[in-house]
Amino acid sequence: MQKKFVIPVPVRYAINTVLIAFFLIAANSMIQGGGLGRAQTAIIIQIGYFIILAVSLNIITGYLGQLPLGHAGFMAVGAYAAAIFWRYHFLPDTANIIAGLIIAGVVAGLFGLLIGIPALRFKGDYLAIITLGFGEIIRVLIVNLDWLTNGARGLQMPRSVRYSSFLVVYICVILTCIFIHVIMKSRHGRAILSIRDNEIAAESCGVNTVYYKVAAFVISAFLAGIAGALYAGNFAVLIPSEFDFMMSINILMIVVLGGLGSMFGSVVAAAVLTYLPFLLVPLAEYRMIIFSLMLILMMIFKPSGLMGSYDFSLSRILEKIINFVISKKGGKNDAKV
Amino acid sequence: MQKSNVLECVGLGIDFGGLTAVNDFNIEIGTTDIYGLIGPNGAGKTTVFNLLTKVYKPTRGSVFVNGVDTKNLNTVKANKLGLARTFQNIRLFQNMTVQENVMVGLHNEIGYNLASAIFRLPSYWRAEKKAKERVCDLLSIFGMQDMIEHKAGSLPYGSQRRLEIVRALATSPKILLLDEPAAGMNPAETDELMKNIQLINEKFKIAVLLIEHDMKLVMGICEKLAVLNYGMLIAKGTPAEIQSNPAVIEAYLGA
Repeated sequence: MQKKFVIPVPVRYAINTVLIAFFLIAANSMIQGGGLGRAQTAIIIQIGYFIILAVSLNIITGYLGQLPLGHAGFMAVGAYAAAIFWRYHFLPDTANIIAGLIIAGVVAGLFGLLIGIPALRFKGDYLAIITLGFGEIIRVLIVNLDWLTNGARGLQMPRSVRYSSFLVVYICVILTCIFIHVIMKSRHGRAILSIRDNEIAAESCGVNTVYYKVAAFVISAFLAGIAGALYAGNFAVLIPSEFDFMMSINILMIVVLGGLGSMFGSVVAAAVLTYLPFLLVPLAEYRMIIFSLMLILMMIFKPSGLMGSYDFSLSRILEKIINFVISKKGGKNDAKV
Repeated sequence: MQKSNVLECVGLGIDFGGLTAVNDFNIEIGTTDIYGLIGPNGAGKTTVFNLLTKVYKPTRGSVFVNGVDTKNLNTVKANKLGLARTFQNIRLFQNMTVQENVMVGLHNEIGYNLASAIFRLPSYWRAEKKAKERVCDLLSIFGMQDMIEHKAGSLPYGSQRRLEIVRALATSPKILLLDEPAAGMNPAETDELMKNIQLINEKFKIAVLLIEHDMKLVMGICEKLAVLNYGMLIAKGTPAEIQSNPAVIEAYLGA
């Protein structure tokens, strides 16, 4: 067998950088040049924060193998933390946006720690119920902490600044995906995966399962908080009823549909599931029926999700093509001899 | 207590409710012994393993690893002290590759922190590269180095058992606990496994405690044996002594 061609790491990074820059420039110029209207841009921004929500939930459902139903809770914490911070506006615009995003993430991360520690003792259905309760508690708290959150009337967002611009959302999505990728391709990521596959075996290999479960919860909540901030920045008024159980279910639906444990799947499914309702608008009342039917058919015919556990890598595809070409050439040479 | 014992149990016992699963279990294993633990089904052999590795908390007695009392330790810390094990019903990380499985075993040895993983610092690259080399070295004991890309769950049964041993070895143990390593293997595979266990014992200079029903394997490689019946130690000694021990014969044949 021939030695396989492997693309060296710096080249892989260069390829990824080019890919990221290409999408950024293409989309940005289209938005600025008017190729994409206001409505489409709004959809793209919405897809952006749903991608972050999905990939962050995927850490717990796909990688750690647990089933939480309170992701909207972390999102709400982040959204309100950022919105309240942005209202006071004591930094220049760009710094203000960045600080708001970080604060949203950190506060949500703290809540992740809070819920992660008791949630450790529970698995499966029990964890689902506990996190479900947590999500509802957060929502009710927000409604009732009137002095801080303006309760059910909703929190007015400052009008002067555009927080969730395409650029901000895009950068957040890219950083989130890179962040999750580098963690998962390290000893820490392997530890999280090993807990999913077999907790007792993981412990007997010296993996501190308590630490990694809490860490997965905190990272997931941190990212959901950032997505919440982007969500808040996209609206004029922040209403607590948006962060209900259905929001958690929607995010979970994206993850399951994309394929548990596949980040690329989450990204694709977030785009599809966010865009589909807009696409089906002409069908009026029937659109929810069609939407639901599609989900049912999807689960019947491809229960592992759109992408299964496949993860996209342009470098890997290039490697395959190059290896294919090399093997073809090699084959010809052999024939000559 | 002698220094040369890697593992020592004193009066170890556990009750599940009113049922005494293991009682008054005493054993001393030297640093390079190959020790066999045998007994009829349900005698409590696997329970002893779970007690040693702290999956269960003992009701009575204590376990010393290299002279250190493991009383307040959990499974992870017991592993760091040098206890590594395999499982009777294979517990591999099914959805991970062979390489990743062994690398989980190397988890604590790799040892870079979260920041160096996130920012891909030189320590990350160095440790990952070294770990991958170690994985190949370890897998080569069983001639499995060509399988690193395979999913662990898709391996044939015998290879899964061998991979479990490699994963346990990756944690650099002082003593390796093997729970029925030859279960489901054919005689030729069992012979090879026997040689491999002896090789591991000599090459890594570690003790091996093994539970096994295959008497040919047990009598062939164990220097000492302990026999368990109804949670009680009924005999200890060399294979020859055990074979002629009337209590053991009674336990096995019910005479």
